[in-house]
Amino acid sequence: MGVASMLQIDEMLGDFNRMNKRQSLYQVLSFAMIVSSALMIWKGLMVVTGSESPIVVVLSGSMEPAFHRGDLLFLTNYKEDPVRVGEIVVFKVEGRDIPIVHRVIKLHEKEDGSVKFLTKGDNNNVDDRGLYAPNQLWLTKKDIVGRARGFLPYVGIITIFMNEYPKVKWAILSILAIFVLLHRE
Amino acid sequence: MTKKEDKSQPGEELVKVNKWDGSAVKHALDDAVKTCLLGDRPHLKEQFGLVNTRLALCALAVGVAIMAHAWDYTHPFPQSRSVLMFSVLAYFALMGVLTLHTSFREKGTFAVAVHKEKERTWEASSDMKKYDDKYLLTLSVRDSKGQPPSPVRAFIDTNGVILDNLVANEVNRLYNSLSAEKKDK
Repeated sequence: MGVASMLQIDEMLGDFNRMNKRQSLYQVLSFAMIVSSALMIWKGLMVVTGSESPIVVVLSGSMEPAFHRGDLLFLTNYKEDPVRVGEIVVFKVEGRDIPIVHRVIKLHEKEDGSVKFLTKGDNNNVDDRGLYAPNQLWLTKKDIVGRARGFLPYVGIITIFMNEYPKVKWAILSILAIFVLLHRE
Repeated sequence: MTKKEDKSQPGEELVKVNKWDGSAVKHALDDAVKTCLLGDRPHLKEQFGLVNTRLALCALAVGVAIMAHAWDYTHPFPQSRSVLMFSVLAYFALMGVLTLHTSFREKGTFAVAVHKEKERTWEASSDMKKYDDKYLLTLSVRDSKGQPPSPVRAFIDTNGVILDNLVANEVNRLYNSLSAEKKDK
């Protein structure tokens, strides 16, 4: 028996062909609702944590042994939390999309509460000035994406893998989408 | 996994389903019941009110999600906070309403038909527990004067092929017995 008949694909297709307009519309809407639910949960997390990216994956080994490549970090970005030396912050350099997870090593604070600080990865030999934008020597609060509040080890390896092999990602997503669209309820 | 074939009336399509997939079997049986109920009775017109409500709720929820995503895309995060918060709450509220509608108002109803002259509403709903092999069909009729619906039930066991004749016999039996009951009252 072939794989196709094992999976009962022809029965599923038969089921799909017999659907009338309303049922087909419902299938499409069900799929859209699954995607929307994931999206709304993510936006909800953004609102609750105050961070534009409440969950990030550690992409490099620059913070070993504290964080390893593939760890998942949960962030918050409350305005009232002061930035202090020794804290681990996630920031984005202006003009670049990739969040960087490093530790604050130097900080200057003005009377009005505004700060500028310098960061460095625990496992790096030099500070991050080489990573900042040209002519930028310090980071400010607006560069911060959030502060690490909790983490899950290894879970993020899947994300790294999907990003390195985008075809695999699209193949898996397409198969899931087709299955959801064709299978009734 | 063998599937039994059956002689069907000439010119009719044999419906084959994966008999181990409970929900596919239920849907195929629902379709068979609906075809039989409405097929030879031109005085019965199918009503789509319940289904339309469900579709509208889904579409509204998806619309909210799309709007939230678009707004967040054009007004990057911190500014879009209040819009996002409202959208997330609205989305999950709509999902709640949708769940209430399907669980309490719709409750397995797959066909609603109205008998125009006699002003009666026929409702067919089915129930089939997840790994069970019993299909419970409930056919009820309601007078426009608001008489409580009188249900008549039937159990049907299933094979791989939907045996239209057997289903038709049961449905006709139910319909006729209910009509006769109503005439007596």
